[in-house]
Amino acid sequence: MIMTHIPFIITILLYFVSSVWSIGSIIKPIFFTKKVAKWSMMMGFFIHSGFLVFLGLESGNIPITNVYESFVSLLWCVLFVYINLDYLYKLPSLDTFLMPLVTALSIWALTFDGGNLLITVSLQNFWLVAHIIPIFIGYAAFTISFSLSVMYLTQQRQLKHKLFGPLFSKLPSLEGIDKLMWKTISFGFPLLTLGLVFGTFWVRTQDILGEQWYLDYKVVLGLATWLIYAALLHMRLVASFHGTRIALLTIAGFCLVLFTFIGTFFMGSKHAFQRVSEQTHNEIVNIR
Amino acid sequence: MSILVVGLNHKSAPVEIREKLAFNANNISTALSLFLHKHQAAEAVILSTCNRVEIYVSSIEGTVTVEDVFSFLAEFHKIESGNFSPYMYHYKDGRAVNHLFFVTASLDSMVLGESQILSQVKEAYTMASMEEATGKVMNQLFQQALNVAKIIHTKTSIGKRKVSISSVAVEFAEKIFQDFTGKMVLVVGAGEMCELLLKHLYEEGARTIVVANRTFERAQEIANAFQGQAIKYELLGEYLAKADIIISSTSAPHYVIHVDQVKEAIWHRRGNPMFLIDIAVPRDIEPDVANVDNVYLYNIDDLQSVVNQNIDERTREVEKCRAIVEEEVEHFMAKLEEMKIEPAITQLRNHFHTVGKEELERLRPKLKTIDTGDWEQVVYTMERTINKLLHHPAKVAKLEAKNGGGYRYVETIKKLFGIFHHTDHPQH
Repeated sequence: MIMTHIPFIITILLYFVSSVWSIGSIIKPIFFTKKVAKWSMMMGFFIHSGFLVFLGLESGNIPITNVYESFVSLLWCVLFVYINLDYLYKLPSLDTFLMPLVTALSIWALTFDGGNLLITVSLQNFWLVAHIIPIFIGYAAFTISFSLSVMYLTQQRQLKHKLFGPLFSKLPSLEGIDKLMWKTISFGFPLLTLGLVFGTFWVRTQDILGEQWYLDYKVVLGLATWLIYAALLHMRLVASFHGTRIALLTIAGFCLVLFTFIGTFFMGSKHAFQRVSEQTHNEIVNIR
Repeated sequence: MSILVVGLNHKSAPVEIREKLAFNANNISTALSLFLHKHQAAEAVILSTCNRVEIYVSSIEGTVTVEDVFSFLAEFHKIESGNFSPYMYHYKDGRAVNHLFFVTASLDSMVLGESQILSQVKEAYTMASMEEATGKVMNQLFQQALNVAKIIHTKTSIGKRKVSISSVAVEFAEKIFQDFTGKMVLVVGAGEMCELLLKHLYEEGARTIVVANRTFERAQEIANAFQGQAIKYELLGEYLAKADIIISSTSAPHYVIHVDQVKEAIWHRRGNPMFLIDIAVPRDIEPDVANVDNVYLYNIDDLQSVVNQNIDERTREVEKCRAIVEEEVEHFMAKLEEMKIEPAITQLRNHFHTVGKEELERLRPKLKTIDTGDWEQVVYTMERTINKLLHHPAKVAKLEAKNGGGYRYVETIKKLFGIFHHTDHPQH
């Protein structure tokens, strides 16, 4: 079992190196060069992508057949969105905030390896793809907006308390971070909406969550997540709110995202994942 | 060839002396031509800024002395040399080069690491070269000095941190706002410091400027200078919520901007950050304003302490710079030694070629039937032989010169081959 996950472990190691170097580049830029941080991340992403392709080919489906695979796929989306955004907007020093988070989440994802929650719905389903992919990319955008919020609060704290260390000079202006935060949220929100809408269609057309599908934790929390980001957008668009409160709300939004994604399984929600015994699990794997 | 610098600066002399010896753009060229008229074989550059007056001279084997420069200065500025000579310093050769590199890299400046001196040195050098006062040595020396300064500014952080109150304040403003276009700057009071800060912000793109002052005329005066708008002092409260950056420097004995006002302003602004700079003593802005969310308040002490820290940071870089300078001085001195030997080598080469040519001319009539192609081969072979014979001694002489012993070699060769002309004329 562990053998097949070696690529992901290597990915985690590379993300870890990237984290250390991106933090180090702030404190001691002569030793910890940005180049190492960037290239270890890119290498990690490359192996990460390869690993997902391998998982996909092995099962013949998109790699979300269990919680572990879903988590790995989500993290891939985070990196994918980050790399594209960085290319578009040149986000300075965001890797310092994002990569440690990605590394930590990757390690957490690894603990789900060999878990006994398996997806029960057919994977060859248009609705599944239409439901999952927009939501995953939306979540990825929210992960990045979370990192930006932490960056915003760090910078505002430094300005407030007059702490002018090496990090102060490396971080962009509050206004700049605020704008990016806004961009990532307004990119993620329509995708989340789309994913939820498709999910609703799906659940109404096919019986996958049972009669009382609307009482499923994931459904309820998904709606709460949608509401919190809708509120954020409203505050920003209609009332033109800025500053620390928006940043704090963005952080709250991300916590809810994480909870909706993973936490609900601990609460016993199934959301189309079936808890199977080790034996049946192996049987299913063998059949596949 | 020897290099000499004679001068004084803000550390060695009070302003009363410095101003007496200062040159300006108008008389510097006269001074240079007068000096070179007196010392024909020399090269000279005059560097005159508000903090220093220095004369750099290069002459054959130090024929121009410190006393010569003193008497020139005394004569030109019409003061007794006894009046200023105690304040002067002078360095020769390696130490003179070291001094120039130090000065150009702004390691000897009043504000360590400032970049103005670099352009001043460049200007002094350009002026001298336009007057044809510089030759091979001064050209090399000053170009190298400018080069070293650039190396130091890129390799060390000597000039990186801001060391003036207004530049530090602008740096902070840049950490709050992405750019200043469309941002309103509200100026309360009309102190000199205010104007300096405004100037900085204006240069960085701030265009919406509002000035409030007790005397309206003064407010108008400042507003006009920055294409801004002057408002009545009583309207201050109304503008508070619109302003992104507020600079306050009134002479009021009490607070001018209170917590409640700022709280209200930030509520109207929906959390859009505000940057308040209080440069008044006693303070104008109630200190508790700093606790309001999304408000960033800095007073004069906050800014000054950052300035002091940055100055310390620059001071810490000096050792690194000194090491670079020392290395570069060594390089330059080696190059100078090599330069000393070059004319002699050219002389030697010319001598060989002249002899060769004479011999060829003697040979030509004897070979009546030779065709042009063959004759060209003969000439070519002769030149090649001479070059080959000279290649090694020239290389060794140059190499030895770098260690300071080459001059003897050339003298010996000259003596052996009977070349007696002196060749060390400066090449203007």
